Amino acid sequence: MHAPHCGNRLRRAFIGVALFGALPGSVSAFTATLTPVAPQTVYLQVGVGSFTGDYINGGQPQNNTTINTVSATVAAAAVGNGTAQAMTTNSSATQSFFDGFTFCSVPGQVYIGGFYRTTGANTSAALVTAAVPAALTNATGSTIPFSKISWTSSGNADAGAEPFPSGTFANGAMQNVGSMGSNSWNESCLTFSYANNTVPAAGTFTGVVLYTLSSP
Amino acid sequence: MSRACFFLVCAFSIIWASAAQAKTTTIDDSGTQALEPSVSMRWQTSTPSRKGGANLMIGTTTLRVRLNVTPWLHRACRIYLDFPAQRPGAITTSWVTQGRFMPGQVHSGNRVLIYSGPIATPFLEDVMKFQFSLDGSLISRATPVTFHFEMDED
Repeated sequence: MHAPHCGNRLRRAFIGVALFGALPGSVSAFTATLTPVAPQTVYLQVGVGSFTGDYINGGQPQNNTTINTVSATVAAAAVGNGTAQAMTTNSSATQSFFDGFTFCSVPGQVYIGGFYRTTGANTSAALVTAAVPAALTNATGSTIPFSKISWTSSGNADAGAEPFPSGTFANGAMQNVGSMGSNSWNESCLTFSYANNTVPAAGTFTGVVLYTLSSP
Repeated sequence: MSRACFFLVCAFSIIWASAAQAKTTTIDDSGTQALEPSVSMRWQTSTPSRKGGANLMIGTTTLRVRLNVTPWLHRACRIYLDFPAQRPGAITTSWVTQGRFMPGQVHSGNRVLIYSGPIATPFLEDVMKFQFSLDGSLISRATPVTFHFEMDED
């Protein structure tokens, strides 16, 4: 009685594979197949969003269909004087769903954040784009170019580059407004302003910008 | 000086001789069955951290382990779970048992003792529930990993 020789064992395994293909359990090594399941997840929040709780407490992302507004009312005497007008939002989102930290201030800032979850070594970032109309319009069809609206990016206690940097809307464009590296939480607070350096017709001008997160 | 060299050579010789006495043999585990065909790997946390790094994926599987230890019947032996270094990279597995083998944990590239004692029956059997964990950046498709059981004879 003696222990089987490893060389014999390998030869037997090779013959088995040659004749029958994979034959689990016929050799003295066990194979477990690790299969990633539902690994890719994206979450984007612009303005208010929904989580079942803060991430650090096990919260899970939810859908929220709210469309928040950003607006400025320019006094008649100030119209077109070149002094940028701060815009305010009806968003109530101040806390990060990451940990509940009060990251943004309202009504002056719009929270934007999310993540891109994926497996593998592909480190390509997910892109956040804004579909920008050519102009804001009023009831009589007068327009204000969207390029009159800019934003600065920051966040309470934040340092370094923002994932959603400061910028200005591009008229009628699909515009890149930020990116998310894979498997990290990204967030910024956007402070919008209206350039106020032209004299448009009187009225209420509106337009909708749609933000989209696209994973590679 | 020459005496020091002499003793040094002797010391090495003793160590070498001791290592040469260890006999390790892969155990026939062909009777082992997996209760699940594959290990579903999921994020340990569904949401990543601010700075990344929360990329651990975990998955569990249960094996009915049946080791043919007939060649070592009535001898005292040590059985190790050997988890070779392999693709896709650093993997950790931990397991719990129903008592025949010892629970434990091993990182790929290492082995760990799961049984020490006399072999009184031709087969050693246990149900082992394994948990595999690895960085999600290492895996993007179904990936086989292998391990085996080794016998060290006293």
